Amino acid sequence: MARLVPTPSATVGPFFPPHYFGEGDHDLTYIDDPAKRARGRRIHIAGHVYEANRVPRWNVIMELWQADAGGRFNHPNDPRAKEADPHFMGWGRRWTRNDGFYDFVTIVPGAYLDPLTGKMRAPHINLSLMGSGLMRRLTTTLFFPDQAGNAADPVYAAVADPAARARLLLQPATLEGAPADAAGYRLDIVLQGEDETPFFIE
Amino acid sequence: MPHHPPTHFSPYDEATQPTPLVPGYKETLTRNPGRPLIARPATLSEITGPTLLARKLPTGMHDLSRRGPDGPRALGQLILVRGRLLDEDGLPVRRSVIELWHANASGRYMHPMDAGSPAPLDDNFPGSGRMLTDDEGRYEFITVKPGAYPVPNHPQRWWRPPHIHLSVFGEGFMSRLVTQMFFPGDPLNEIDLILNAVPDARGRARMVARQMAMMDMPNTHMVGFEHDIVVRGERQTPVEK
Repeated sequence: MARLVPTPSATVGPFFPPHYFGEGDHDLTYIDDPAKRARGRRIHIAGHVYEANRVPRWNVIMELWQADAGGRFNHPNDPRAKEADPHFMGWGRRWTRNDGFYDFVTIVPGAYLDPLTGKMRAPHINLSLMGSGLMRRLTTTLFFPDQAGNAADPVYAAVADPAARARLLLQPATLEGAPADAAGYRLDIVLQGEDETPFFIE
Repeated sequence: MPHHPPTHFSPYDEATQPTPLVPGYKETLTRNPGRPLIARPATLSEITGPTLLARKLPTGMHDLSRRGPDGPRALGQLILVRGRLLDEDGLPVRRSVIELWHANASGRYMHPMDAGSPAPLDDNFPGSGRMLTDDEGRYEFITVKPGAYPVPNHPQRWWRPPHIHLSVFGEGFMSRLVTQMFFPGDPLNEIDLILNAVPDARGRARMVARQMAMMDMPNTHMVGFEHDIVVRGERQTPVEK
């Protein structure tokens, strides 16, 4: 059967509704009841998004998607979905402030043996960026420093340039306004420039 | 019947997707990476996605023509838009979140970024909605037809034709899509930089709704449009081990 042509992407534009951002949308550690939290080591991730020439880019829509602390996804494509943490949302959304600042609360995802590639995926977080001037979303993947498994991770290894690869590593940091029980990480996202973040083909 | 979401994602056909850089749309020049995008394998984290979104994001908002079931209607042409959310195999994407937003009938957004617009706001227009597809992938919403509006402050000024922004999640990270729906026969479609950034006519056609046959309209007070949204993803026949 002939496959259907997918609907083309189009820019989010500058008018993504502000009220789409609910109070806990940037917190991946719970679904709809903040009293029921996901298992795992809580972390706070923050940084700034820049466009060309290091100009802070505000009004960027950022979305995260990641595995739970045990490396499982609550999704029918994961053979271990039944063992997934029932309180883990795994998805979050945030928009960048006037100075390009963003932040998320989540847990350190688990590593897992990937059934599609047969390779170990190191702990990682998938990130989408959407906004005015982006006709298609940009996607990248965040990794944790000091993880021996990074080198063998098939996505991390797909970035050939070591300097570019390093720009995918979250940096331990003490962050203002971070939850007291969460370890802090920083990562700036550079859309264009000398120290540009590596992005992936969709 | 067990539900099997797509596990295969062919690279997009570049001809049916917009070019990242659009001459005349200056924001595209400074916000897109200068280096080539990198190929990566699809693994579990790419072929899965949030299944519990409806518990995080309130849904059931599919009448944008008024603020409440008994509230006064927003001004403008009352329209109904319905269609299906499908994957590339033509199979329905079930119980999946669709978000939509658009300008009011005067061509103004309910958004601080549009505060400079001389067009009037409409207090009865909520500006956005969010809903779930049903078990056949169907969705339906009522709203007022958005107005066209000029895009100011550009080296090349242009008029945006009436359009509705659609944000869909599909069945996983790889099928996430934000797009725009256009209205058939609008002369501004021919000059829109966003719609015409898609090189192939088959892609552009996917973004333009069809006028519904009047006999198919369940409600005679509205003008009807049909619009299917196709997200990426193919199902593969499982191989016997």
